[in-house]
Amino acid sequence: MFRIWLLFDPRRALVALFVFLTVLALLIHFICLSTVRFNWLEGNPALRAHAALVAPLSA
Amino acid sequence: MADTKAGVSTSGLTESEAKEFHSIFVTSAAVFFIVVIIAHVLAYNWRPFWPGPHGWVAAMIDQITPFLA
Repeated sequence: MFRIWLLFDPRRALVALFVFLTVLALLIHFICLSTVRFNWLEGNPALRAHAALVAPLSA
Repeated sequence: MADTKAGVSTSGLTESEAKEFHSIFVTSAAVFFIVVIIAHVLAYNWRPFWPGPHGWVAAMIDQITPFLA
């Protein structure tokens, strides 16, 4: 398996791998942020919906 | 790979250099994947990726039932 590095230049392979993994990670993180369920910055949507339901009742 | 013994290959590495780089590469990849697996386990515990048999709505209602009691 190590013979792959006789074929591919390790420096270029590492740069390509890092670029690919970075773009993939950014893509997945932004997809998650764009959803309601997996947006970690907006808190808990279920809890917020519950609070919105209960707050008018208790007031 | 007869010509690699003379230090000439497509990438310019010798066999010993390729072996040395490969061992570092495999170790680094293993560490990276361990971190990735830990991150995914934590993320799944936070909010599961796959909805249950009743969908995500039921799963989200389960999160607020302690507050309803």
